[in-house]
Amino acid sequence: LGLALVAAAGPIESQERVRAHVAAHAVAALTRVDPGPGGAELTELRLVQPALMVRLAGPARLSLLATLDLEGATMAEGELALGAWGEGFVDRRHPHTYVHELLLTADDLLGRADGVARISVSAGKGFAPFGTDDPMSRPVLRYPVNHHLAQVLERAVVIAAVTQGPLTAELGLFNGDEPERPGHWPRLGRVGDSWSVRLTGRPLPGVELQASRAHVHSAENRAGAGPDQGKWSLSARWAGPVGGRQVYGLVEWARTSEADGFFVFPSLLAEGAWTAGRHRLHYRFERTERPEEERVSRFRTLRPDLENSILGITRWSIHTAGWSAVVLERGGATLAPLVELSYGRIAEVGGGLFDVRQVYGRTNAWSWTLGFRLAYGGGPHRMGRYGSALPVEMPHQHRGEP
Amino acid sequence: MSMRRSWWSGVVLVMVVLAAACGGDGEPEPTDPSEPPQTPEPAPPSPPAPPAPPEPPAPPPDGLALNITGGGHNVTERFTSDLWVHGRYAYTGTWGGFPREGNPGNALKIWALDASGAPNLADSLILPGVGTVSDVEVSADGAVLMLSAERGTRNGLYLYDLANPAKPTLLDSVHVAEGLHTATFGEIGGRRYAFTARNPGSTALTIFDVTDPSDIEAAASVPIPPTYGIHDTYVRDGLAFVFAWDAGVIIYDVGNGIRGGSPESPVEVSRLVTSDNGVGSPAVHNGWWFHNPVTNEARYLFIGQEGPSQIGLSASGDIHVVDVSDLAHPREVASFRLAGAGAHNFWMDEAAQVLYAAYYNGGVIALDVSGTLSGDLSSRLIGQVRFGGDTFTWGVMLANGWLYASDMLSGLWQIEVEP
Repeated sequence: LGLALVAAAGPIESQERVRAHVAAHAVAALTRVDPGPGGAELTELRLVQPALMVRLAGPARLSLLATLDLEGATMAEGELALGAWGEGFVDRRHPHTYVHELLLTADDLLGRADGVARISVSAGKGFAPFGTDDPMSRPVLRYPVNHHLAQVLERAVVIAAVTQGPLTAELGLFNGDEPERPGHWPRLGRVGDSWSVRLTGRPLPGVELQASRAHVHSAENRAGAGPDQGKWSLSARWAGPVGGRQVYGLVEWARTSEADGFFVFPSLLAEGAWTAGRHRLHYRFERTERPEEERVSRFRTLRPDLENSILGITRWSIHTAGWSAVVLERGGATLAPLVELSYGRIAEVGGGLFDVRQVYGRTNAWSWTLGFRLAYGGGPHRMGRYGSALPVEMPHQHRGEP
Repeated sequence: MSMRRSWWSGVVLVMVVLAAACGGDGEPEPTDPSEPPQTPEPAPPSPPAPPAPPEPPAPPPDGLALNITGGGHNVTERFTSDLWVHGRYAYTGTWGGFPREGNPGNALKIWALDASGAPNLADSLILPGVGTVSDVEVSADGAVLMLSAERGTRNGLYLYDLANPAKPTLLDSVHVAEGLHTATFGEIGGRRYAFTARNPGSTALTIFDVTDPSDIEAAASVPIPPTYGIHDTYVRDGLAFVFAWDAGVIIYDVGNGIRGGSPESPVEVSRLVTSDNGVGSPAVHNGWWFHNPVTNEARYLFIGQEGPSQIGLSASGDIHVVDVSDLAHPREVASFRLAGAGAHNFWMDEAAQVLYAAYYNGGVIALDVSGTLSGDLSSRLIGQVRFGGDTFTWGVMLANGWLYASDMLSGLWQIEVEP
């Protein structure tokens, strides 16, 4: 497919020279959670989100995007995070795979033949066209509980996108299986067993409305024996200046239905950031329901599972607020100390065996993080959109920037 | 130009490396799961059945009253798993997928049955390093108690001497790192075997020779597709029916003679993926090969489908009926659904032509399985019992004229079956 994209891009003679954009990012974070599973307070220091991003804008309409993520080396056992789950982790956010993104995109395939429309095709490893941007490219450091409800990440994808005026439509085919270890690759034999579509409208400058739907086969069983998921996402995003300050806001609703609706996990999230000079304040609220699976240790669930059962469902209602400031800016690199505080309540939904008090000792929890963020080249790009699905005026847009 | 060429080369190289690194699955494709129910054609069962009976079979009564007569709310510190009753004693395992009062499922409960058949807890055997006692069975001669264990550090197969049935003493054990989900005795060629279901990680039908229960010997291991893998095995007449989730039911000759197989070298006879009935997957979990003494047929294989569940609250999954009168070409012919509940383990009163099924949040049901089975069997439901508001029933067994049921939430129950 990669060769086909190269061929579709046109004759070599018509191509231009390569333009490269390199960015890097990492956060040293001291995090305390009270309580963790087992009821005890936990504190740890980790280097989280270490990533190197390279975008090669190739001859004419071709581009290559690669994001190398080193969390497998710096936080192989995950990041302490209230309520996080997915990929066999629970109450710790999983490390991403080393190759987080690697996509070849042929943009504006038809050139002027389709008028003002832009048609692109992307193939490789990355995000399926579903839901909102990856949390790594958003202002709040802490990953939301809804990460696996609102994004479909690290799949072998083939994505067609068409943009005309303020509207973008995307269709993606991918493998349903999610990774279980940083070194895992998508199962190529499963490419095409899952799909997603996303419609995006940009009615006003800085405003982005999104609706998407995905069908994911056996996400949590790589061999393919797990139940199918039906996923929905709606969101409104805005980034722009207000009174000379940069403001960002996102409201999203996501819903994942598993096994023909036997399990349903909804999520509602709102977050915003306000940047004044070197300072930025951010806040997020989310209310997300997650499955409670059998654990093989405090922070790990059984993989592969033995059957399709869960122990219960819990609802996590979490407020997170934070501040950061750029204190050093040199040669394209920035250093920004940050502090983030979260408070959440945990509730059982319905019934089942899972008992919040037995696991955590109580039904509310605190978490704080002190750290500093080191970024180069603007830090993480908007992960999750490729080719013509990215607004043409902001191909390298970063955290909460307009 | 050289820069352009090197860019193209880089792109191609990256895509080739990506494709090479991903690799393929190399897993077998399942067979068609969606065969519609049909009326089976007459065919000789295997092993060969005697001539057809001269009189039509007497059907079970229109209804069975399942009356609770004893037991219940007798295991509160752990979740209960499987059961077996032999003579005046019963044995139940415990499940540790979630701790109850801080306890894992590392206990075997030993029950003395009083003169009325009611169970009274006599003792508990604690197995260090075991997370779940997943299956329990007593040999037909009552001499050996067999357990399978998983979710711990000392997973595997355990055999106990029942010279004193109130005080089982360990004879031998085998460590299986992945854990064993179930273990089933099979008497073949004068020897006794344990047919076990090895968990994901290395899913396999693993067979042990346990003729000398103080010296367990490995006999064979047959890989099973890892689409969840193998959950249970039913052994009868030299055939092993392996219930292998999305891979369906796989029938092996392990001494029957139709394919020349043996416990040391099982030979596949056939396989069938039953329909998912909208549950999400075939989820082939357990079964019972019905030898009907009224018709002298061995025509039907009942299969339990373990659909998605929220343990302790809700479950799904049906009973599927497969016509195995031609063992080489099994066909699904009927199914039964209990709305809002999910099937688990079976027991049969073959003489009465009644199938009993533990049905998780549905308790225990009785199904009339006399005559020809076809299509929707919902009209065949002739009895049901639930154990109050907290019902999540794992297993059921008929013994000494009573029905016994193990409930994950409320322990061991004694039930009277009243026509």
